[in-house]
Amino acid sequence: MLKFDHVSYAYPGAAHTVNDLSFVVHPGEIVALIGSNGAGKSTVSRLANGLLRPDSGHVYVDGEDTGKVRTSAIAKKVGFLFQNPDRQICQNTVREEVAFGPQVQGMPEEEIRQWTEEMLETFELNGDWFPFTRSRGERQRIALASVLACKPKLVILDEPTTGLDYRECIRIMDYIMGLNRETGLTVLMVSHDMELVQEYAKRVMVLTDGRLVGEGPTGQIMKDMSILEQAHVLPAQIPMLALRFGERFSDVYTVEEMAEAIRREKRISSGAPIEKRAGTRDRKASKGKGGAQA
Amino acid sequence: MNLLDYVPGDSFLHRLNPVMKLLAAFLYGIACILCGSVLMELFYIVLMILISSFAGLQKRALRLTRNLLVLGLIMFLLQLLFVRTGDPLLVIGGFCVFTVGGLKSALLLSLRIVATMLPLMLLFAITRMNDLCGALVKRLHVPYRYAFIVTTAFRFVPLFTTEFHDIEDAQKSRGVEYDTGNIFHRIRLIVPLFVPLLISSMKKVDAGAMSAQLRGFNLRTVDSGYHEYPFRKEDAVCLVFLAAVLAAAVVSMVF
Repeated sequence: MLKFDHVSYAYPGAAHTVNDLSFVVHPGEIVALIGSNGAGKSTVSRLANGLLRPDSGHVYVDGEDTGKVRTSAIAKKVGFLFQNPDRQICQNTVREEVAFGPQVQGMPEEEIRQWTEEMLETFELNGDWFPFTRSRGERQRIALASVLACKPKLVILDEPTTGLDYRECIRIMDYIMGLNRETGLTVLMVSHDMELVQEYAKRVMVLTDGRLVGEGPTGQIMKDMSILEQAHVLPAQIPMLALRFGERFSDVYTVEEMAEAIRREKRISSGAPIEKRAGTRDRKASKGKGGAQA
Repeated sequence: MNLLDYVPGDSFLHRLNPVMKLLAAFLYGIACILCGSVLMELFYIVLMILISSFAGLQKRALRLTRNLLVLGLIMFLLQLLFVRTGDPLLVIGGFCVFTVGGLKSALLLSLRIVATMLPLMLLFAITRMNDLCGALVKRLHVPYRYAFIVTTAFRFVPLFTTEFHDIEDAQKSRGVEYDTGNIFHRIRLIVPLFVPLLISSMKKVDAGAMSAQLRGFNLRTVDSGYHEYPFRKEDAVCLVFLAAVLAAAVVSMVF
């Protein structure tokens, strides 16, 4: 779905922001891009949707070289949710805002009308609201609805939950995960929030100084302290704790798994019969951050 | 880098008193407006690019000149076609396309746009806004509140430019094309962008004002700053130079 092939990019007058970067995001994947401030995460996401063109190398979206097509053509395949929804919202009503993208992309009027109403219902939005005076969470939801109204195949989320309360954060991520399950939407999320990454991403790429220093399944990366330290990010709490508890907690990633592992250890120490372990993690089953509500 | 960003340095121009820099930009602009000769206007542009090179800013000056020439070209065409003074210069099929007066006026106006903007660019590039604010308070005894308003307005220009580009990028990522279609189509697409820009500006201003109030903005007086910003010999030299520039402009206007 998205392929970076030896991509380098530097802002005018600056050293390389992205340096010889190569990676692939497959259709239907949920991949997180993590790294410290200035690591080049936002630049990578802007390269991915054609807002920036690489100085060298190629970026392919759905097999198409972004260097050879217009940003508007890429926009039909790639949706981009900005960290700050206020940069995106520019229409006077929520309905107009949601319909704006499909209109620009030439969707037939009748289809736009139906699709807009559908999106408003899905995202629990009132089409007559004046978007600028809504709460931060609602504005972010309006922005997300507007992005997804364009029916992208790949959605890039640039710090999607910054400034949101826990409930809105879960709400936004659950919408996206639902679409991923139902329509095979590919997701590239750029985030500082390791709990969020741990909870939702299936694969993680670690960026430092514009270079990829680590890549792998979320659980593996979350327990690789050398890579996380290199990227100056703090790991999610539960995998970190599990790492400290040793080998028997090696497959613990969520709150439920930790609770189960502790119960198991208690049974072992009291000499009670050991039940068969729950086995591999099922993070889809756990709602919310680390299943804290459970 | 933004064309209005400050560029650190220790050149002769950087060392001038901030009040003198502001005055110089203003007087140079006045000279360019007064100037009545196309050649003199060209000379002022070249001179300002040379002056910018003292602070290592010749590339930026050239870039701004190039960008402003696009705007100048639009003004040139408008003036050329609508100013009808003087003898006809180009007549096609009995219809006078443009006149001598129209050509001169068009050339003058388009060059004047470039010539008056260049000193402003230089002012921003060689002056820290804090220094300009401090110097206005210390040297001209402008109340801090007003000096702060002026310098904050300048400081916000590049911030708003960046903000506008980000808003534009957000729309481009939804498929909006700002570089296709006729001018009216483009204006129709650009106008809605001013709403988020205005809202984010108001939020920034509100947050900035609150932050300033919380840090005792109203308690600030002339004695609150420790920089003195004295006038030096360089400033006197600059003033003499400006007088010459202004005199040349007046001469070109009269003769």
